[in-house]
Amino acid sequence: MEAVCLDVHPHILLAEDDPELLELLIFVLLRAGYQVTGCDNGLQLLEELERVESYDLVISDLRMPALTGLEVLESQFDNSQCPPFICMTAFGDEKTHATAQKLGAVATIDKPFDLDDMIELIQTTLSGKNTHHYLRGVDHD
Amino acid sequence: MRLTVKITIAVLLGIALIFSAYSYFSIQREREQLKKNLSREARHIGESLRYIVTELWQQRGEEVAINFLKKANQEYEQTLVRWVWIEGEAPQEFQPRVPVEQLDDLFNEETVALLAGSPDGGDYLLTYLPLLIDDNRIGAIELSESMDEMHDYVQESLRRSAIVIGVSICSALLFMGALGSIWIDRPMRKLRAQAERIGTGDFTPSVNLPGRGEIAELSSTIERMRGQLVDAREAEQIANQEKFETLEKLRHSERLATLGQLSAGMAHELGTPLNVIAGRAKLIRGAGMDPDDISRSATIIGEQADRMTGIMRQLLSFARRGKSQKQDVDLNTVLRGLQPLLGPTAREKGIVLLINEIEQPLPAHVDPAQIQQVLLNLTLNGIQAMPNGGEIALSGMRPTVTQAPEKFNDERIRWICLKVTDQGIGIEIENLRQIFDPFFTTKDIGQGTGLGLSIAHGIIEEHGGWIEVESRLGEGSCFSVYLPEAAAGELA
Repeated sequence: MEAVCLDVHPHILLAEDDPELLELLIFVLLRAGYQVTGCDNGLQLLEELERVESYDLVISDLRMPALTGLEVLESQFDNSQCPPFICMTAFGDEKTHATAQKLGAVATIDKPFDLDDMIELIQTTLSGKNTHHYLRGVDHD
Repeated sequence: MRLTVKITIAVLLGIALIFSAYSYFSIQREREQLKKNLSREARHIGESLRYIVTELWQQRGEEVAINFLKKANQEYEQTLVRWVWIEGEAPQEFQPRVPVEQLDDLFNEETVALLAGSPDGGDYLLTYLPLLIDDNRIGAIELSESMDEMHDYVQESLRRSAIVIGVSICSALLFMGALGSIWIDRPMRKLRAQAERIGTGDFTPSVNLPGRGEIAELSSTIERMRGQLVDAREAEQIANQEKFETLEKLRHSERLATLGQLSAGMAHELGTPLNVIAGRAKLIRGAGMDPDDISRSATIIGEQADRMTGIMRQLLSFARRGKSQKQDVDLNTVLRGLQPLLGPTAREKGIVLLINEIEQPLPAHVDPAQIQQVLLNLTLNGIQAMPNGGEIALSGMRPTVTQAPEKFNDERIRWICLKVTDQGIGIEIENLRQIFDPFFTTKDIGQGTGLGLSIAHGIIEEHGGWIEVESRLGEGSCFSVYLPEAAAGELA
């Protein structure tokens, strides 16, 4: 029954150091019917990942104080239990995308991105179609 | 004036010499003439007297003849006539006035004329006419005539000559003084003033003296020189202007290159607020928001727009720099101003940027935009040298001991040091000597102009300071920028 419960309210772990964006994303994700836990730095994200193992999805900014998103991703590289990882970066270059992909991120989205596109990506990811997506921000609007 | 005086004196000396010689010779001649005349006169009188005396002596005897001569003195007042014995013992009154040895010619029965001084100081012309008396004893008629008259005449001539010489010297002085002033002094003064003006760099007025003399030639030479100097100065000014403009262009392009590097970091910095704005706008547009949330979203949109404006303003204020202008600034302020420009780039590269101001002011008379450019350049180089992250520190300080290079070694100057310390890969020793050379770069083609450090070096030298560099391979580099401190009171 627990699994059903998870299906109904997938739990997303969100890491973003900018408080405004963090607040907005939490608001949007909650409204879309997800459970959300927010962190504002990489270290907190790592601790949270190790403390609770039942997250369905991780969405993390790449550039954060303490530990960067990529460093957290790298630390989970060998962890088969690690939930799918979606990275966010501002105007990310090809190299960043490639690195994230190599380290196992299911998708890397460039800020600024469209919130609906993000929800769609989350839905796609959670429904098991773990193909890589590249969202180029608001262009998809 | 001195030249005129010299020429005048030389000419006057000549005139005086010629005049004096002329006067001397003419007086001499007149004197001879006078003497000859007097002598001839005396001889004529003597001849007449000798004839009479001879007659008297032969007819009436010695006594009558001599008495006649004594009486004759009363007739010729100016001439004293005496009888003298040349041969044999004679009483004092018949002794000639001069020693007998001088009168040898009388023995040949020739008339003797000579000049002699008298014991009372007067000059006399003595004329002796021999007379052979029966017993073959030779006597003579002595005519002695005072030369005082002739002396007076000579004195008068001398006096007149002296007056003539004096008057000619005076008039020549006046005349030559006036002419010298017109012909030499005035044009010379003009030329000297012109040369002095040219010396001080004032090429405006033209002086061209008329005529074909030496002074006119000198004037046209100076005029030609003035023209050449004007041309040379104009050419130099144009060259300087071109050099200045080229340097400005070069610095501007380096500034744009720096801007390019900074803008990548800035763009990253814009991503997040853009995301917030776009997201909030979408929330407002969507249905089912309560008015409080809409209002809050609108406020946040405004705030984020302001944040972006701030970022863009920083970038633009750096890009659009005004005219180069030195002013008194606290270098702490310049350091502080680097945080918003460099922060995004450092964050993007995962580098911690530390800006260490100090509590005391760091007053310096500098162009803040140029110093900012130098520090940006050094810091961006440091950031590029740290591919694996780390710390880069910008610090202001007042070094207690400064080993200034020789050309800046002045004990009166106190130095301010701005250090940029990175934890990068360091600089190879063989490259250390060349890093300030233009176009020297260790970066890949297209990554750097190779002008950054050279321009930084030029800017700091222009400010009367220098840049030092220490580096250890694998540990990092430290660039120290030394600038002279401005006097404490000058800080605006």
